[in-house]
Amino acid sequence: MKRARRYGLTAIGAAITGIYLFPIYWMYASSLKSPVELFASPPTLVPNELWLGAYHWIFTRENMPLYLANSFLLAGTSTFLTIVLAVPAAYGMSRLRSAWVDGALVGVMLSQVLPPALMATPVFIFFRQLGLVGTYHGVILALVTKSLPFAVIILRTTFLQVPGELEEAARVDGCTRLSAIFRIILPVARTGIVVAATLVFLMVYGEYVYAAALLPRRTMQPATVGLYSFIGAEISDWNNIMAFASVFVTPVIALFILMQRLIVQGLTSGALKG
Amino acid sequence: MRRTSFADSPRLLGAMVASSLAFIVAFVGYPVFYNLVMSFQEVTLGNIRDFWRPFAGVANYRTLIQDPAFAQVTINTVVFTAANVILQLGFGFALALFFNLDFPGARWMRGMILAGWILPPLVIAAIFKWLFATNGGLVNEALLATGVIARPMTFLSDPASAMPIVIATNVWFGTPFAMILLSAGLSNLPDEVYEAAAIDGAGPWQRLVRITLPLMAPTIFAVLCLSTIYTLRAFDVIFGMTGGGPVNATLTFPVWSFQFSFQQFTFGQGAAIATLMFVFVIGVSIVYIRSLKSETRL
Repeated sequence: MKRARRYGLTAIGAAITGIYLFPIYWMYASSLKSPVELFASPPTLVPNELWLGAYHWIFTRENMPLYLANSFLLAGTSTFLTIVLAVPAAYGMSRLRSAWVDGALVGVMLSQVLPPALMATPVFIFFRQLGLVGTYHGVILALVTKSLPFAVIILRTTFLQVPGELEEAARVDGCTRLSAIFRIILPVARTGIVVAATLVFLMVYGEYVYAAALLPRRTMQPATVGLYSFIGAEISDWNNIMAFASVFVTPVIALFILMQRLIVQGLTSGALKG
Repeated sequence: MRRTSFADSPRLLGAMVASSLAFIVAFVGYPVFYNLVMSFQEVTLGNIRDFWRPFAGVANYRTLIQDPAFAQVTINTVVFTAANVILQLGFGFALALFFNLDFPGARWMRGMILAGWILPPLVIAAIFKWLFATNGGLVNEALLATGVIARPMTFLSDPASAMPIVIATNVWFGTPFAMILLSAGLSNLPDEVYEAAAIDGAGPWQRLVRITLPLMAPTIFAVLCLSTIYTLRAFDVIFGMTGGGPVNATLTFPVWSFQFSFQQFTFGQGAAIATLMFVFVIGVSIVYIRSLKSETRL
């Protein structure tokens, strides 16, 4: 009886999960329908035949490869830059105790909460003065302003969990601080760093506002901006749009499935504790 | 915690912190300050490159408040934020409680639901715009097929339904995050209290109201603050689905500010909205950070 109840709960859980994730399925299903089947009434829950015309269209007519390349270039570079800056800062904050560091932590937390759509105005003007509008550098810097505070907060928690005794032992063995960091701390904190990098990548890959504000040239824009130009207009070729969205988010979904367990852990340990 | 004592330590660690801090001061702190300055200036496309511009006093703020849309945008922002925070907390808590039960696959399914939260918000906007489309949208088709309506609804171009749909979309997006944080809180609750309550004969409802909710109060408060902060950041979902329309029905402050700056090029007004919102968001954040500190001192 108890067992039946547990499997009953599994069935309810599967139903909830299925209903919740249905929109993602619908994106893929719609992308594989022909224009005729797309507007069939009542709609087909599973495409009758797999129609790849929408994919053909976005790759030949909508410049999908270029958009994707730009997205990966911007997201990859800003993730790298974020981690390179955040790891030492987070480590330093986890090992220094002073009012100065407490203040800095509050500053980092506050810089994380500012809405990008509002930051876009001063960042645009400031970058215009620096000559960074219309360059990849400008967007990457803007993306890092969003991801760096987030990464510092999450990684600080990671380094706080690495016991100080490890460095003490390394020091007794004649290590300097720097060699202790590279030989001991970074390997121990490896998983946490990978999780932080994944979350940062997911965040910057999907970012729209800064790219829209700072990159006027179409050939430099990432896929988010391309998607907006698609859905912003009054349109009806939803299979093309869903194909565009599918190609764009499949890497994100794959990365998520791969890292799911670690992402959940990283979020719960980093976000709630100061 | 024990401190380690490398000879070079404080200076090296300080430099490590300083590099990131310098970046944040230069590219976040300075723009925030500069935004405040700009909100009191007359900023046009012609003088973008100048630092010193004609002083405008409170003209930008006055224009903003006297704008016929101001009252509605304020109401929209409050409604959008409040509805999101309440619904995300409610659904997130229900899901967290459910997946906290002991059954096969519970943790895995809870993790899969997080997939909604990692999607780019603009993609979510595209999917939901299609789901609620007038022609061929699944919601309309389902309502037509079941005979609830006789002709398709114009969900997103009707001012009465646009806001609820944009809210629902953003709730779909934000709920998994609330759920994950609340789940973490639930799994930290001590089992002994529940065992004692079971011995005393407390039913499931009593256990929820008398034990779970009071013990979860700090987590719930943290989630309230965080989802307020995240909802005030919402832009892509609204901008992608309705662009703030129809007739300003879904226009919130972030969307309005972006429109002023990047569609009408009245940067002064864009900056004025940003300044007002920064004050509010930072206020909420300080409340949140203080609550974290008082918690860790206990």
